[in-house]
Amino acid sequence: MNSDVAVLPESGLPEGLRQPPVLIGEIRPGGVDDQVLSHVFEKPPKAWFIAFACTSAALLIGLAMIGYTLAVGIGAWGNNMPVAWAFAIINFVFWVGIGHAGTLISAILLLFRARWRNAISRFSEAMTIFAVMCAGIFPLIHVGRPWLAFFLFPYPNQRGIWPNFRSPLIWDVVAVSTYFSVSLLFWYLGLMPDLASLRDRTRTKTRKLVYSVLALGWRGAASHWQHYERAYLIIAGLATGLVLSVHSVVSFDFAVSLLPGWHMTIFPPYFVTGAIFAGFAMVVMALVVVRSTMHLENLITEYHLEVMNKVILTCSCLMGYAYLLEGFTAWYSMNSYVHHTFMQYIAGTYRWAGWTTITCNILIPQLLWSRWFRRHYAGMIFVAVAVTIGMWFERFVIIVSSLHQDFLPSAWHIYRPTIVDYGILLGSFGLFFTLVLLFARVLPVIATTEMKMVLPGSQPHHQGRGHE
Amino acid sequence: MSKRSAFSVVGIFESPQLLMNAIPGIKAKVTARLEAYTPYPIEGIDRLLGLRKSPIGGMVLVMGIIGAIAGLSFELWTSGVDYPLRTAGKPYFSWEAFIPVMFEVTVLFATFTAGLGMLLLLNRLPLFRHPMLRSKALPLVTRDKFALAVEAGAGELDPEAVAKMLQESGAESVEVIEMPAPAGPLSPVFFFNAFAAIAVSCVLAGLLTYWATKLFPILPPMVHMLDQPRLDPQRADSFFTDGFGMRMPVPETVTHDSVPYTIRSQDYAGSLVNPMPRSESVLHRGRQAYTNYCAVCHGVLGNGSPSLTAAYGAKPANLVSQKFIDLPDGKIYHVIMAGKNAMPSYAADIVESDRWAAIHYVRVLQRAMNAKDEDIPK
Amino acid sequence: MNWDTGTKLKLAAAVGCAGVISTFLISGSERFWANWILWFLFLLTIGLGSLFIVALEHVVGARWSIPLRRIPERLSTFALLMGPAALVALLSLRFLYPWTKPESLNDPVIAGKASWLNVPFFSLRVILCAGLWILAYRILVSGSLEQDRKRDPKFNLRARRFAPLFMAVFAITITVVAFDWISSLEPKWYSDIFGVYLFAGTFLAGLAATTLALLYLKSRGRFREIGPDHMYNLGGFLFAFTVFWSYIGFAQYMLMWYANMPEEVFWYKERLQGAWGPLLLVLAVFHFLVPFFVLMPREAKGDPRFLFWTASVMLFSHWLDLYWMIFPVLRRGPLLGWPELSFGFLFVSGGLIWIRHVMNRGADMPVGDPLLREGLEFRL
Repeated sequence: MNSDVAVLPESGLPEGLRQPPVLIGEIRPGGVDDQVLSHVFEKPPKAWFIAFACTSAALLIGLAMIGYTLAVGIGAWGNNMPVAWAFAIINFVFWVGIGHAGTLISAILLLFRARWRNAISRFSEAMTIFAVMCAGIFPLIHVGRPWLAFFLFPYPNQRGIWPNFRSPLIWDVVAVSTYFSVSLLFWYLGLMPDLASLRDRTRTKTRKLVYSVLALGWRGAASHWQHYERAYLIIAGLATGLVLSVHSVVSFDFAVSLLPGWHMTIFPPYFVTGAIFAGFAMVVMALVVVRSTMHLENLITEYHLEVMNKVILTCSCLMGYAYLLEGFTAWYSMNSYVHHTFMQYIAGTYRWAGWTTITCNILIPQLLWSRWFRRHYAGMIFVAVAVTIGMWFERFVIIVSSLHQDFLPSAWHIYRPTIVDYGILLGSFGLFFTLVLLFARVLPVIATTEMKMVLPGSQPHHQGRGHE
Repeated sequence: MSKRSAFSVVGIFESPQLLMNAIPGIKAKVTARLEAYTPYPIEGIDRLLGLRKSPIGGMVLVMGIIGAIAGLSFELWTSGVDYPLRTAGKPYFSWEAFIPVMFEVTVLFATFTAGLGMLLLLNRLPLFRHPMLRSKALPLVTRDKFALAVEAGAGELDPEAVAKMLQESGAESVEVIEMPAPAGPLSPVFFFNAFAAIAVSCVLAGLLTYWATKLFPILPPMVHMLDQPRLDPQRADSFFTDGFGMRMPVPETVTHDSVPYTIRSQDYAGSLVNPMPRSESVLHRGRQAYTNYCAVCHGVLGNGSPSLTAAYGAKPANLVSQKFIDLPDGKIYHVIMAGKNAMPSYAADIVESDRWAAIHYVRVLQRAMNAKDEDIPK
Repeated sequence: MNWDTGTKLKLAAAVGCAGVISTFLISGSERFWANWILWFLFLLTIGLGSLFIVALEHVVGARWSIPLRRIPERLSTFALLMGPAALVALLSLRFLYPWTKPESLNDPVIAGKASWLNVPFFSLRVILCAGLWILAYRILVSGSLEQDRKRDPKFNLRARRFAPLFMAVFAITITVVAFDWISSLEPKWYSDIFGVYLFAGTFLAGLAATTLALLYLKSRGRFREIGPDHMYNLGGFLFAFTVFWSYIGFAQYMLMWYANMPEEVFWYKERLQGAWGPLLLVLAVFHFLVPFFVLMPREAKGDPRFLFWTASVMLFSHWLDLYWMIFPVLRRGPLLGWPELSFGFLFVSGGLIWIRHVMNRGADMPVGDPLLREGLEFRL
């Protein structure tokens, strides 16, 4: 029953079956270093300074608005009763979600041995860390007395109390801080060999000192690589668990409640899918910019963009399933409150937000079925921007629309965000992109060590390396 | 040839294949320790070099389990034993609610064991004094070359012989790395300095944190909750022209369950009828009211000999005298409501029912202080 | 008498058949039908899970699994075989499903759902789902079998184009199966993650069945080219989706426990009282703890012995999962008697007989697939 096997060379395959190249051109390990590390040593182009100025301006506006909020109080925001939780939690969920794509690319694809991941893993992990930093601001400032935020941490205190571990808000604190520290450690461990390369390339004394300290004396010893690889793989496996659990814990913030529209058992996987969805859109947008401005088209190829767009398309379909099921259950539950809340999404005060969500999350990404949209910058940026907007509005719809009309009509109230709300949202985008811009000039955007591992001929022949 | 012996001899190879080919031959010929330096991990090199399997998996499993147990126990202890708190009617030991945090703590413990265990324990990094870091070979390695180092370790190396062996095995160049100055790469001084630095930083951080936690809450805007634009009791306030924060009730203010008392003169009060029955409970209540409010001036026995000192100028009335025995209830009630001479109005102090009850009690006192023989029970 | 495996299985199936018939005649309709639904769903989910594996491979363009693909393709015939079983199961509706009884319409909740939960529409859904599965089988599996003869690479392109559509169809149909056959046993209950929950169990069942079949056939000397790298990937998937199933199961339970809403939580209360509680514990141990800790070490994921026992435990716990969800509707506590055993004999042996027959029908690997060689050369 065996070896009557068809043997066709790759070139003999029909066009639809051939794998597009993951790497373009003849690339040597030294060439990777030259191409990627040179950006760290060169002065940035003018465009970078302009971009930096814009993002810093946005960041400063955000900081000013946060300062104003701290001085004056949460009354500066649009929160009211019953919409007591609005922009702050929307932005928090939004940014934490965006972080998950980076961990998926870095950790989960490592476990799947998807070698194409190596060109984009470093940048995605960095985006994860920056996104979680942006997210972490919001729980901090949205409490009434941020200077007492340390109350959330379980330390022995003279008040004689402990945080309430049965509350999903505390689960959030633990989950997000774990996610941040694990991502940071994972990113840093991955960086170490690259920092060693930088240390050995640099000529300036201060830079050499900084890189030497940061590289911790890494010398590429085989006995070190052995432990390093095992640890890296194990942390990737653990980080995979975090991808599922952190956004599920965030979804528990809503799902453990009794509110119609919030208490849906599908929330955990629905939120995780939404996170990957939004995150990949952000990664696509950022990688398009990086790839074109830093001339890395031979390393971050069309293949990468195509696969990421396919993931976005898959997530869009999964989100469609989730919306369908929400709608069906809203009817099937025979619970008039759940039904009312769902009708509010599509026909209520905020129906414009509901329809924006559906259009941007389900309808527009379907354009990615077309190869043109998957392969051309204009197409994929259009879809990615739509997804980012759609995913923000999805959280808006879930939180604001569900809250503004709950059980008692006497408690119903419209929510209107204030300029401070908008300013802080703008500031979070400013912070994120400022950090991304800084990262791109200070550290290598591609993990050069990992890149060298997947070049053809990188491993000894008798291992019989297969294709990507 | 330098008098100082060599630390290691390093051969540089062009490709991983050449490196792997060279290792078995060299390993057979020398007893010294072999180490390979590569820009990225090479598959199969662990076996060739005879490296033992990494123990990191077991370490992570153990610490992960410890993390899970620690996390869950901490939650159970804080929420069930030390500060048992009923939330949403859930039992104290609600394991379902404790699983998310337990999971995260497990991941945290496991990850940091993997990362820090790998770095600090197994690889002994950070380490900045290793001679390889000062070699010319290392920059080549981190770029794209592959190196095999024969390390002297405790023994002696013949650098020339080893260099020849490496070249014969296919090395494109060879470098001899000298033994560093006697303060070796793993000097106790380094560890002591590191430890001392960490200890000092911990103490400093602790002091700084303590100072910050004391200072921070009293800085604005943290103090804004204490400093509120409102009237506090017993405080002056510039809002009112007389500067008093606490105000008297507006004149003619009545409590919401009272009827205004409009009789202006005691002469017209005589027609008021005592609405309270003369029952034992009312008399007890009257005694209590009289003792609380009236006895201080009129005396416990009602005879106007109070516990007040002579320094108190006014002379309270003797309630058990004939004048008062003849006085109707209503006129006594009028004095309670409107005051008389030095006695102020007690309308605000005694509720309506208590006023009449106290009057009943005064009658009791009057009879008791003017008792006749017939009053003694047989 | 030649006591080879085939004969033993046929004997077991005959014994089971006799037992099943006697159950129908003696033990009462409710118990008979509960068993029927349980086993019908068990084999259906194995078939659907296998079909999902095939489609997943086409969607993702995976090459490592091509040499193995014939096994889930053959296993997906269970989905077709369960078509007639589903039609028979329609007879169970008036015994097991409360919404078929006219007096249930007095309850406003059930009456409101009557436009969805009524026998004609239910049957229509069953037929539609079966039809869609048959269509998917024809395109994905029959096409692959034909490719053995025709050696036409165009099948791969067709499969790649159809597979995403099948995924959408699969998502909807597995949700319908979950809501209709299992969730409507308690018509007042609802949980929107239920479709995902059944999907998780289904996918795991398909993976476990594939693994078991592969290991069994390897022990018979077939699939010699499949090496430890392929086994490691299978083990990795088994591990990962055990975690996924546990996560979905825990999420559903914890959310309902936390909110404690009477209209939801009664479903769990039914399934925790009496002996059902310890049974849930057993399920958690065999469906999560055992596979998780056994498959955690890297070496175990590729080791045939560990994989064999773990996959067997997984299939058993998938069955236990369905049992725990379905049988409480009988309101009699966990029943394990001759009826359950006879159904087990019949369906397990029948299933094994069918697989043995079907795996001998053609080549062991999709020999017409142009990417087969690459799949065989896969190394980690």
